[in-house]
Amino acid sequence: MNFKHSLVIYRKELMEVLRDKRTIFTTFILPIILYPLIIVGFNSIMIRQTKSLEERGATVAVQDSVNNSISRQLIQDLTKIKNYTIIPYSETTSRLYEDKDIQCIVTIRDSLGSDGTQFFKVYIQYDKSKEQSRMVFNKLSEQLSKTEKELQKELLQSFGISPDFLNLIDIRERDTSSAQKKMGMLLGMFLPYIVIMMLFAGASIVAADLVAGEKERKTLETLLVSSVGRLEIVCGKYLTIITLAMLNMIINLFSISFSLKFMLANQSTEMAGVSLPLNAILILLIAMIPLATLFAAILLSISTFSRNIKEARSYEQPLLIIAMLLGMVSFFPAIEINNLMALIPIVNIALLFKGVLINEFTISQILLTIFSTVVLDVIAIIITIKLFNTESVLFRTEEESGGLKVFKRKPKTFFNPYNGILYFSIALIVLYYLGSYWQTKDLFSGLIQTEIIIIALPVLLILRFLRLKPKEVLRLKNPNWNSFLLIPFIAVSAQIIVSIISQLINIVFPFPEKYLEALSQLYKMNETPWKVFMAIALLPGICEELLFRGFIIRFFEKYSVRWAVVISAILFAAYHLDPFRFVPVLLLGLLLGYLAIRSGSIYTSMFSHIIINGMAFVLVTYSNTGWVKFIAKDGENLNYWLIVPALIIFCLSLYAFHKVTAKGEDKCVE
Amino acid sequence: MIKVENLSKVFTKKDGTNFYAVDKINFTAGDGEIVCLLGVNGAGKTTTMRVLSTIFQPSEGTAEIQGWDIKKHPNKVRENIGFLSGDTGLYDRLSGREFITYFGRLYSIADNIIKQRISEMATLLDMNEFLDKKIEFLSSGMKQKVSIVRSIIHYPPVMIFDEPTAGLDILTSRNIISFMRDCKKRGKCVLFSTHIMREAERLADRIVLIHKGKILADGTLEDLRNTSSQTDLDDIFVYYINQYTDETELRANEF
Repeated sequence: MNFKHSLVIYRKELMEVLRDKRTIFTTFILPIILYPLIIVGFNSIMIRQTKSLEERGATVAVQDSVNNSISRQLIQDLTKIKNYTIIPYSETTSRLYEDKDIQCIVTIRDSLGSDGTQFFKVYIQYDKSKEQSRMVFNKLSEQLSKTEKELQKELLQSFGISPDFLNLIDIRERDTSSAQKKMGMLLGMFLPYIVIMMLFAGASIVAADLVAGEKERKTLETLLVSSVGRLEIVCGKYLTIITLAMLNMIINLFSISFSLKFMLANQSTEMAGVSLPLNAILILLIAMIPLATLFAAILLSISTFSRNIKEARSYEQPLLIIAMLLGMVSFFPAIEINNLMALIPIVNIALLFKGVLINEFTISQILLTIFSTVVLDVIAIIITIKLFNTESVLFRTEEESGGLKVFKRKPKTFFNPYNGILYFSIALIVLYYLGSYWQTKDLFSGLIQTEIIIIALPVLLILRFLRLKPKEVLRLKNPNWNSFLLIPFIAVSAQIIVSIISQLINIVFPFPEKYLEALSQLYKMNETPWKVFMAIALLPGICEELLFRGFIIRFFEKYSVRWAVVISAILFAAYHLDPFRFVPVLLLGLLLGYLAIRSGSIYTSMFSHIIINGMAFVLVTYSNTGWVKFIAKDGENLNYWLIVPALIIFCLSLYAFHKVTAKGEDKCVE
Repeated sequence: MIKVENLSKVFTKKDGTNFYAVDKINFTAGDGEIVCLLGVNGAGKTTTMRVLSTIFQPSEGTAEIQGWDIKKHPNKVRENIGFLSGDTGLYDRLSGREFITYFGRLYSIADNIIKQRISEMATLLDMNEFLDKKIEFLSSGMKQKVSIVRSIIHYPPVMIFDEPTAGLDILTSRNIISFMRDCKKRGKCVLFSTHIMREAERLADRIVLIHKGKILADGTLEDLRNTSSQTDLDDIFVYYINQYTDETELRANEF
């Protein structure tokens, strides 16, 4: 690879981009004009609006049903508010209120306390959705409490008590957060989102044009026959996108910060003089580079895949939405960066950005963020290079089947990946809405309903409808009984291994307390143990196996049985709607898929599933009693030494299982 | 010098079956010779040329350009060929000079040499007037001239023209044709594809007749006339295609 060639391409692409007036306008001129206009303009309008509302005054109707000296004084004091007209309550008042000629209606009533003291109740009727009405309410209550204070003072003095008693406790606040941090908090809310969007926008300005555009204008062939290598081409174009993304982001950021500064200076708040420290800005810029490269790589692969700019743009759309949703995480004040969050792309950058702005982050979080982004980045680049070397992609013509093949090709058999994903998605949505609803109503019956009605029943109905034999499709066949005897060993050892893996994950990425609580609720239902066992071990073992190892796996078997096992395991893990258990469940899904396929009988995977779930139940329910105490230290966590015997038993029993089940006992169904 | 040996290119169709766009073809083109790849649309001309210029990988067989194997030394092959097609696009926002310089740099030619070559060729092709104008403002004839200079900026010994006159008006076509003759005069090996009989007749030293990925005939116009006992190239072409169809039908009837 000759990097000089990449630089030649890079320079030429940049030159072309910078000669495009539209690009210049959207990347450079628009942000420079737009933000000052929006921020400063909007701000000054708001200030003016508030001032005019305050000066406008209001009309308040007062109904005095007490009519003694105190109530009269209350009304008297209300008339002291500037620009306010106080009118007595009359028959027309409610009509005037509806016509918004009157902003508030005040009613004064009294009541007697237990010792015979007279109290006053002041009702204020106003429209909370109206800015002006709210303002009137605030003014009135302010004035009323002032009057109250005065009255209390007079009363105390008449009893010969010092009015200072009214201020027995004096609350004063001392805010230790610096103005800097407050500013960071404020910026941390929306700046990450804006920055991520700007990076994406900057990258997408050129990405579609760079390869799909060359295809459209028929210049790609010329480039390919010149002595430049394809890797060099990818590299040059990739650098162009990164540059534009960073440039767009930086320009937008500067324009925003200048406008904000101007606005704050006008308001003369304590944040006015605050500026971000240089090291924070540097960290942010460095952390942004991997994200820019990730966007660049993904968009470049899209551009390479697409036949023309229009197609590339249509593929960019869903990506933009995903990036937007992930970037919005910074709006949630409760979510802060930790090691787990640092692994989720885009979310990690948004949270890290926030962390840096309020000066709460660790180096490991920065490194994890950069690392996980770079990993994805490398994958995306490899895909792009692969696409660039795939003739059928690079020279896809209009007549050829366009777009992603999986989605365009008309399915011929029912069991194809497209239908598989479709069925899974529908089941997932139903589980999410209906299942969760049932389970929040009553956990025990909800679980049973979910397993039977959502998970198992539809499968059987569909098979019935399609007139397929459930016995054949779902592998409801008697297993090799020798292999069946090995299942308890495999299942128990697998559960131990997976639990310990899960415990290790918990150390690196601690599960939230609330989550653990919710999980243990599952095992501590208010039902008899055998009923709980049925709800969380027996039924899931049967129903979930029917769905995943019986039904869903069939959709993916046509091309490769191995991939069918992997995909069904991924879907199985996703179905649990639980990011913290994704990896453990995925591993178990792989094992269960293997067992079912290898033995040709779903009973093997059902049996293991029941044992695995049952074991978790036994450990939690009977913790600190008898032998359970021996294997689990504090009820729920298994002793680490168990992994050694578990691994040995697992390998031996799985090996034996593999030996006693002959290969190819089962064939795919069409 | 181009040497093609048992070259095949297989594409996989939508329904998963294989399709031979080029089917075990053999031919050569020597230095100072113009060889025409003649065939109807979809005969496999463009695919052959894309394989020769290393855009496509051959499925079977191989070819050599100036002694360099297209599979083993694709970079050397690309350095030795100039490629031009009728529908080549150009970068609209660059000027002609920038466009040519860009490709010169991609061939790792030093900037001063590129400059010198451009000024020589621009005078020769009478393009000094518009060389610094942006390509989007050029006429199709001017654009074609820019493309010509781009294709020979690295002085390639082998020229490959894929339907060089397709979509061009008559004057621009004449420019290209005289350019091809000029290449021959300079001792370059020229391979061009066309479906226009007259062009083949006027230009080619040898005609390679390609149909459905197979070569049906290879020889001078005289050779083809003698074998087919037809005078007009149109008739010769039809003669060979009929012969091919008869043969395949015969073979089909045997079963």
